[in-house]
Amino acid sequence: MTSPGKADLLQGTLDLLILKTLALGPNHGWGIAQRIQQISRDVLVVNQGSLYPALQRLEQQGWIEASWGTSENNRKARFYRLTPAGERQLAEATDNWERVSDAVARILRTA
Amino acid sequence: MNGLRTLQLGIRSLLRRDQVEEELDEELRFHVEMETAKHLKRGLSPAAARREALRSFGGVEKVKEQCRELRVTRWLEDLARDVRYGVRTLTRSPGYAAVSILTLALGIGANTAIFSMVNGVLLRPLPYTEGDRLVRVQQGAPKAGLEDIGVSPLEKADYAGGRSLAAVAEHHTMWFNLLDRGTPERVQTGVVSADYFRVLGIQPILGRTFVAEDDKPGAEPVLVLSYAWWQRSHGGDPSVLGQKLEMNDKTHTVVGVLPPVPAYPSKDEVFMPTSACPFRSVPEAAIDRTMRMTNVLARLAPGASLEGARAEVSGIARRMAAAHPKDYPSDQGHSATLVSLQEELTRAARPTLLTLLGIVGLVLLLVCTNVANLTLARQLGRGRELAVRAALGASRGRLVRQRLMESLLLALAGGALGLLLGAAALRLLATFAARFLPRAEEIAIDGTVLLFTLLVSLAAGVAAGLLPALFRPEPAAALKEGGDRSSMGAGGLRVRNLLIVGQLGLSFLLLIGAGLMLRTLGALHQVDPGFRPEGVLTAGLDLDWSKYDTVPKRRDVYDRLLAKIETLPGITTAALASTSPLRQSYPFKQPLRIEGRALAPDQPLPQIEMRIASPDYLPTLGVPILHGRGFRDEDGPDAPAVALINRSTARHFWGGQDPVGRRISFDGGTSWITIVGVAGDVRQYGLDHEASDEVYRPIRQVPLLRSRLLVRSAVPAATLEKSLRAAVREIDPEQPLFEVQTLEQARADSLAPSRLITLFLGLFALLALVITATGIAGLLAFSVSQRTQEIGIRMALGAARDDVLWMILRQGGVLLAAGLALGLLGALALNRVMAGLVFGIETTDPVTYAGVALLLLAVAALACWEPARRATGIHPMLALRKG
Repeated sequence: MTSPGKADLLQGTLDLLILKTLALGPNHGWGIAQRIQQISRDVLVVNQGSLYPALQRLEQQGWIEASWGTSENNRKARFYRLTPAGERQLAEATDNWERVSDAVARILRTA
Repeated sequence: MNGLRTLQLGIRSLLRRDQVEEELDEELRFHVEMETAKHLKRGLSPAAARREALRSFGGVEKVKEQCRELRVTRWLEDLARDVRYGVRTLTRSPGYAAVSILTLALGIGANTAIFSMVNGVLLRPLPYTEGDRLVRVQQGAPKAGLEDIGVSPLEKADYAGGRSLAAVAEHHTMWFNLLDRGTPERVQTGVVSADYFRVLGIQPILGRTFVAEDDKPGAEPVLVLSYAWWQRSHGGDPSVLGQKLEMNDKTHTVVGVLPPVPAYPSKDEVFMPTSACPFRSVPEAAIDRTMRMTNVLARLAPGASLEGARAEVSGIARRMAAAHPKDYPSDQGHSATLVSLQEELTRAARPTLLTLLGIVGLVLLLVCTNVANLTLARQLGRGRELAVRAALGASRGRLVRQRLMESLLLALAGGALGLLLGAAALRLLATFAARFLPRAEEIAIDGTVLLFTLLVSLAAGVAAGLLPALFRPEPAAALKEGGDRSSMGAGGLRVRNLLIVGQLGLSFLLLIGAGLMLRTLGALHQVDPGFRPEGVLTAGLDLDWSKYDTVPKRRDVYDRLLAKIETLPGITTAALASTSPLRQSYPFKQPLRIEGRALAPDQPLPQIEMRIASPDYLPTLGVPILHGRGFRDEDGPDAPAVALINRSTARHFWGGQDPVGRRISFDGGTSWITIVGVAGDVRQYGLDHEASDEVYRPIRQVPLLRSRLLVRSAVPAATLEKSLRAAVREIDPEQPLFEVQTLEQARADSLAPSRLITLFLGLFALLALVITATGIAGLLAFSVSQRTQEIGIRMALGAARDDVLWMILRQGGVLLAAGLALGLLGALALNRVMAGLVFGIETTDPVTYAGVALLLLAVAALACWEPARRATGIHPMLALRKG
């Protein structure tokens, strides 16, 4: 299903991207997927099969919360928003990610 | 994880499951719509846009299922759904459900009943305070072969001086006649020291137990009632406190009632302090070391170990013997040890109960293999359903759990039904068990038993369901060609083969057990007990010691009683004796000295059993006089002392010589008794016990206080009992008759444990046989239907009907051979268990083994026949076309 040049997302990464996307403002599932795809210029494709379970997992962790609202085309949609705990988690996870990707990048450069 | 939030979401998804589901639906639908709209904008046609949106989404149901899996309360939800689904599937195959539940109920019920007995008798702590610290002091005379000679009050005082025993109490049992309750009644009375109940830690449920003042000479006579006797004689009426009961020559006041406690050391109905017992309170008790009439119970001192206490007690015994050599003759030897009460109370019951537990365990195992087999068979027909569910996104664990749930439901239903069966069976079992278990009164279905039943049910459910549940359906294969059959054919068949072999093995084991027990019962029935029990009624007749306090009075009342009874209509003979055959009684052993034989130095005299009997005792029992003469009325107090010996005594002590006319002594040679005859051997202690060496003395020369009346007559037992009671009342209106029983009953009673085990094994072996036979038939029928094509090809290629027949029979034969081999191994392994139960045959009795093997062969052949016959009826063309 993945065309060349596009990458599937690792689970932990998907969580981080969802949190980051929601930090920009509340959004629904489809919107989150579109946003990730757009910002990554279609490099990252969110598999729906992992998106909704991931949303549910994050909700259970208390990092995001859901409520029903109206979408841009006037349709009832389930919106997710970041909780304070989610913001803290996002900061922590971002830090972590940067440290790890820096490290990986350094190794790749020297090796 | 955020606990509170998780809980909130959890509760929500549990309570408002429909709403949560709806929201999930809605959310995903929204997603697909947005995706469709996006594709529309790109210029796709509406239909193509929607198709593209759905394609990129993957499986909607699969995503939903993954979301559901994540829900916290998922397992609870699933549980409820599995239960509902399970109940629904099971009601769709009521035959399968009914057979499974019924067999499980039998297996679980049997386990519940037997475990209740094990729990009440072996597992529950004694109903005493710290029962594991209680011991009994046991003195023996090892050189005379006597293990337990009792303890005298003087000796008790010596043991009480030891440091490792914190408190020492005494007990002995007497039979007294209670006079003032309409008909005279004989009550078994525990005579105990005042601190007895305190030492054991028994609190009365009414009133009080004894205090030190009760035990002082001249104290007001008081009684404490046992729970059972209080219920029986006073209907549990609390106003019994303060009532006066006439006993012996005293009036006793009831001061307390005990809770139910084990019938230990004996089955006492009422208790009195030692000072009130006419025998215990004689002056000799304070000076005679050899008045060994009591049981001494003690509590270990805090910190004392059983081993340490034993060493101390045995040291005290050695010092006693050294200090009083004439009371401890060196040719008898003297020893003392401590026996734990826990151990003593369970010793007799342990082997029988554990055997029964083993039997029901095997039965449950068999039932589980049967349900597993049925489940597998049923599952082979469910391949498509399971494959569809797997394709729709049900995870493997989910499917395994779903199917486990079905067998758990069956097992729980079986367990509930089994509990009812077990409770019903238990009532019968407990009554029976009271004959040989001191703690039978404590047998009941309590929390432990309920928990056991629940656990056994769950274990049975898992055992029966896990194997079938682990079979993974192959969705592709199952869905492709209506392939219900082939989807798990080979693997399933292999497992079913193994299950059948297991069933055959277990059936073989149970059948061997049943066969051996049947042969044992047969052997017991064929044993010549040495007497003819038909038409003999026996009854206990204990004289009141205070009324018949001299030997002439006793002789007189016995003479008058027998004379009166002999005139009753229909009486052939009547007799009085110290005991009657097959009664549970203590051996009355006496040291035998034979005139003219030198005593071996330091060698104890042989002990032989003495029976006291009136002249008609042996004729009443139908015991032959082999040589010499029997007793006559003339063998009275003024005639020469005479004795009869039984055949084994004659053989052991006189060999080929003629014992008649020889003289023997039981008081070391002070007085001599002439042997006048030799009687046949009688199996006194049970049909499976060889006769012991016995000597008979005439009752007119040795007048007893406690005796048994034996009457041979043609009158029905009930009628005879009435006229006997009337006759006794006429001689002495205060004289009770008790434990009235025909010898036939006594004989049946003595066979009761063997009968119970035989019945158990027989019933379960039969059940096993039926289960196994249907199992084999079902398996072969299935295999034939699987091989229809193959058989068709074989027949088309020229195989004869007989060849096909043999092919199927051979398949059954291989199973049977494997099952027999397994069972044989099991039977040999369990040989030792059966050794204690069989009589008159070997545990490897070839007749039983061969018989059981033949029986299984016949049953298996029968079970194979129908499927094999059907196989030969397969029409090659039809079979090939069907594929």
